Amino acid sequence: MASHNVDRLAFMPVFRPDEEPRLRELLDAMERPVELVVALGPEETPLPGAGDFDFSAETVKIVEALASLSGRVTSRIKQQPDGVTLFPAVLVLPAGKDVGLRYYGTPYGYELASLFGAVLEAGRPAPSLTAESLERLAALDRELAIDVFVTPT
Amino acid sequence: MLLAYKAALASPRVTAAAIEAGEFPRLADEMNVWAVPSIAVNGVPQWDGAVPERVFLDRVLAPSFA
Repeated sequence: MASHNVDRLAFMPVFRPDEEPRLRELLDAMERPVELVVALGPEETPLPGAGDFDFSAETVKIVEALASLSGRVTSRIKQQPDGVTLFPAVLVLPAGKDVGLRYYGTPYGYELASLFGAVLEAGRPAPSLTAESLERLAALDRELAIDVFVTPT
Repeated sequence: MLLAYKAALASPRVTAAAIEAGEFPRLADEMNVWAVPSIAVNGVPQWDGAVPERVFLDRVLAPSFA
């Protein structure tokens, strides 16, 4: 039996109206622009209970809502870009450059804050890490792919 | 999650991905994800839970990933 989640979610705003001014302010203050690319392609079969939730459509909606908050953020959709194997995905590109920041899945609920944080961080001229951390990372002599499994609740 | 993104922004040798475990259950199973956040480095499961910046770097920069 199909649930009615889609009907209900269609009318839910991505951001609360009372929090939008602060979010706009943060994004407008970014020193470099950030591009968000929504990568779409074949999705994995969802777990029982996911119902009729359209992960790709919801991801597009969230990313476009985020980009609509500020001229410092742009978004576009790309079908199965090279190097992306899980869909939907969001690629976060500081100043339009792909430096390997990805969100695989739909960044809703608690994880919307992760995507927003990634955008703010990408909009900074330098990462907000300690000088010691930056030194250690600058000295890195091998490739590291860090995956962080998350849930929206 | 943000620490991983910051690390990727700080070094061209680092990439960082958040993966929604519920949307990719097969991958989450393969990586033995039982709790979140669950961190894997170079495809190998490492630890669960948020840690401070210094500890995070100690772990991801550990020589075992050389």
